[in-house]
Amino acid sequence: MRRIAGIVLAVLLIGGVVAAVVAGRDNEETGAATKTVRMVIGSEKAQFFADPEVVKALAAKGYTVRAETSGSWAMEELDLKGYDLAFPSSQAPADELADKYGVRKPLPRPFYSPLVVVAHRSTAAVLAANGLVTLDRSRGGTLRMDAYLDAARADRTWQQLKGAEKHTELTGTLYVATTDPETSNSGALYLAAASYVANGDRVVSSDADLDRTAPLLRKLVQVQGAQKSSSDAAFRDFTSGVGEPLVLAYESQVAALLAEGGDAVSDLVVLYPDTTATSDHTVVPLTDTGRELGELLSADPRLRQLAVRHGFRPQGASAEFTRATEAHTAYLNQRLTGVRQAPVPTSEVLRQMAVRARG
Amino acid sequence: MRHGRRTGRALAVCLTALALLTACTSHGDGDGADGASTPGVAGSAEPGTLRVLASSELSDLRPVLDRVREETGLTVRLTPIGTLDAVDLLAKGGTDGTYDAVWLSSNDSLRLRPEAAGRIVSETPVMASPVAIGVKDATVRRLGWRPGSVTWSQVEQAVADGKLTYGMTDPARSNSGFATLVSVASALSGAQSALTDADVAKATPRLREFFTGQQLTSGSSGWLAAAYERRGNVDALLNYESVLMGIPGLTVIRPTDGVLTADYPLSTLASTDGSTRGDVRRLAEALRTPEIQREITRTTHRRPVLTSVPPAAGLDTSRRRELPSPGSRSVADGLLDAYENELRRPSRTVYVLDTSGSMAGERLTRLKTALTTLTGDFRDREEVTLMPFGSDVKRVATHVVDPADPESGLEGIRRDTARLTAEGDTAVYTSLEKAYDHLGGGRDAFTSIVLMTDGENTTGTDAAGFDRFYEALSGERQEIPVFPILFGDSDRAELTHIAELTGGRLFDAQRGSLDGAFEEIRGYQ
Repeated sequence: MRRIAGIVLAVLLIGGVVAAVVAGRDNEETGAATKTVRMVIGSEKAQFFADPEVVKALAAKGYTVRAETSGSWAMEELDLKGYDLAFPSSQAPADELADKYGVRKPLPRPFYSPLVVVAHRSTAAVLAANGLVTLDRSRGGTLRMDAYLDAARADRTWQQLKGAEKHTELTGTLYVATTDPETSNSGALYLAAASYVANGDRVVSSDADLDRTAPLLRKLVQVQGAQKSSSDAAFRDFTSGVGEPLVLAYESQVAALLAEGGDAVSDLVVLYPDTTATSDHTVVPLTDTGRELGELLSADPRLRQLAVRHGFRPQGASAEFTRATEAHTAYLNQRLTGVRQAPVPTSEVLRQMAVRARG
Repeated sequence: MRHGRRTGRALAVCLTALALLTACTSHGDGDGADGASTPGVAGSAEPGTLRVLASSELSDLRPVLDRVREETGLTVRLTPIGTLDAVDLLAKGGTDGTYDAVWLSSNDSLRLRPEAAGRIVSETPVMASPVAIGVKDATVRRLGWRPGSVTWSQVEQAVADGKLTYGMTDPARSNSGFATLVSVASALSGAQSALTDADVAKATPRLREFFTGQQLTSGSSGWLAAAYERRGNVDALLNYESVLMGIPGLTVIRPTDGVLTADYPLSTLASTDGSTRGDVRRLAEALRTPEIQREITRTTHRRPVLTSVPPAAGLDTSRRRELPSPGSRSVADGLLDAYENELRRPSRTVYVLDTSGSMAGERLTRLKTALTTLTGDFRDREEVTLMPFGSDVKRVATHVVDPADPESGLEGIRRDTARLTAEGDTAVYTSLEKAYDHLGGGRDAFTSIVLMTDGENTTGTDAAGFDRFYEALSGERQEIPVFPILFGDSDRAELTHIAELTGGRLFDAQRGSLDGAFEEIRGYQ
C-alpha cells in the first residue's frame, strides 16, 4: 500500500511543472489574476515547490512559481535580474544578497531546519560503543561534538574504534561528509557549529578566533577530498548506498524521506549534533511580488502545513511539526531535547572560515 | 610537479581539438557502444530539445531517454565527451550558448577547477555506479578468490605473481580510468583520507608493479570491451560496475578496501536562461521517478538513487567504503602525471604517414602542424617512429622520450616532421606491412600503429595481399592494432576494413581536425 502511494506521489511529482501551468490557466479562465513568480532556491526546497499540492495552494492565492536551484552561497554569483526572490537556506547568505540588492529588512523567514547526521544502524552502534554518540531513540541519537572533534584532532580512524572490524566499509579516517562550505549552506553551517565548540563555546568573531579554530576546521574539510556542492546530492548519495558512513543533512530531508515511507530507510539512524546550527530558510524579496510570496509562505496555514509535510519546521509554533512527525519519533528529536543552537558567525567570518578550511 | 610543462601543453592540444571535438568522436567506426544518439556538433537551440554534453557511456540510456520524451515531451541530445575535456571546455566558457546542460559520470574533477565549477548552477545525481574489477569466471576460480572479500592488495599480489592481466581506460581521458586510478592509489598507499602528494609518492613502487599487469588501454569503455573480447588472453577489466555487468563471463568484484562511485549528476549551466534550466529540472525529476529509476537499473546496471527502488538483480548491496576523490588539483594532476610518465607501461607507436603527391600544399602543412603540436603530449619512455610513405616507405625515424632528457627526443620528432615532403603514389598496404615488420615483438609496451592517409591505395600490395600478410603474422603481432585516420579523400570502407581486421578503431579527420584525431588516439596508445 505504501509503495503504491509512493508511486502515485511520484507520478504527481513528474506532473509538477505541467500542473503549475495548468493551474495557472484555470485561474485565468475563472478570471482571477495570476502572477508568475521566478525564484532561485536552495536544492533542499526543490521538492517542496515541485509538490502539486504546493503548486495548487499557491495557485489558489494567485501565484505560479518557477523555481531554479543553486547553492546558497553561489547565489551571489548569479545574475538575479528578472527574478522575484532568492530563497537561500540560511540567514547569512540571505543578508549578503539583501545588502547587494538593497532589499529592506527584516526578511521573511518562513521555516527552519536543524542539521543532522545520517548513518546506518551498525555505524551508529559503533559510535555509541565508543562514546561518540548517545542513542536516545531506537533510530536516533545525539552526536557528542566535543568527543567527535577530539577524534578529528587525533586523526582517529574507524579501525581504532572497537566493534568497527565487523564492518568492512568502516575503515579510514572518521569524518562526517559535508557539502563544500564555500558554495553550499549545510557545509558552512557545519563549520559554524564545529567552530563554536572549538572556540570554547563562543562564536568565532575575531581574527584570533579564526586562527585558533582554523587548523581543526581545515582537518575536518581536507580529509573529505572533493566535496559535493549541494546537500541534495550528498543526501542522495547516502540513500543510494554510496558508502560514506556519516553524511551531514538537513532534518527536513530526513523527515521528508520518512514521510514518503518505503522499506529501504529501515536501516537509517538520525543523529543530532549536541551543538548544531540551524538552517533558517530566508526569503530575499527582489520585487513586491517576491515579498508577497515570502509573507504568504510564512502566514498561510495550508502552505505551512505543506512545509511540515516536507520536513521543515515553520517559524513560531512547534505543534504543527510535532503533530505531523508523530509516526517518526523513533528517528526524530521533535523538541530538539539536548541540542543547543550555536550562533552563526557573520557572513564575512563564515566565508573566511570556509576559504581557509578548503584552501 | 615534474612534468607540469608538458601537462599544460597537452591541455592546449585538447582545446585546439575541442573546436571540432564531436566530429572526431566515434561515428561510423563500428564502435556502437560509444556512439551518441546524435553525433556531430551540439546544434542550435530548439524549444523542447536539450543539448547535453555527456560522458560517452551515457549512450546506453537511449531507450530510457526515449521513454522520458514520451512522458515529458523533452528530447535529449547527448554529445559524448571525456571528463577532462569537458572540464576544460567549461573552464573556457566553451559551453556557453552551445549546450543546455552537462551530464558527466562525476563532477569531482570539475570541482577542482573553480572557473569550471562556477559555470554550473545546480546538480542532480541520477544514478550510481562504483568502480569494480570484472574478472573472468575461470580466473576467479584459479585464484581461489571469494568475490565478496577481495582487496586491491590481493589484486596487486595476483599481478605481481604473474597470475592476472587486465585492461583499463586512460585516466587522462576517461572518468572511469581516473576513478580506477584513484581507487587503486588510495588503497595501495594505505591513505586513510583524501589522497595527498605524499601518499602518491609513497605508493609509487607498488603502483608501478600493479600497472605491469595492464595489457590494454583505451580512450573509451566501449572499445576496451571490444578489445578485451578480441584478445581473449586478458584476465580482467577495471571499469565501472555498470560497464562490467554488461560483459558476459565476468565476475564483478568491488574490492572491500574501497571504491570511488560515479553518481552521474545532471547539471544546469549558468549561461542558460530560466526556461532552459526549468526544462533541465523537469528532465531531472523525470529521471528520478520510480518507473524510470527501475528502468535505469534494469537496463544499465547502475544503482538507483531512490530508496524505494531496489538495485537490479545481480548488484551486490553489501556496503563498501567510499574512497574520497582528490580535493585539490595538484594532487589529481600529480597522480595523472605519475601514471603517464612513470607508472604505466610505456607506449610504442609507428606513425605511418601519407606524404604522397596529393598531400602537397595545405594538407602537408596541416599534418606538420598536427604532429608538432602532438609532441607536447608524448610521455616519458615513449617510443615514437615516423614512417612517411609515398610509392614506398621513404624513411624510418625512431625517437625515444628519455625521462632524463625528454626535450631531445621531442626535438628529433619535430625536426623530422619539418623535413616531410609530398611526393609519389600511395602505397598504404606495403607501408603498413613494413610498420608491422619494424615493430616485431617481445617488447613490454603498449604497441600500436597510426595510419594517416589522404587517398586510396594506388600502388604496392593490395587489400587482399595485406589480409594474407596479417593472417600469417604471429599471435603476438596480430595483437598490434592499426588506428586509421580518415583525411582528405581517403576511402572510409578501405580504412574501416583495416581497423576491423587489426582490432583498431577508425578516427575521422574529414569532419573533425587532424590535430583532434591524433590527440584522441593518444587515449589508445
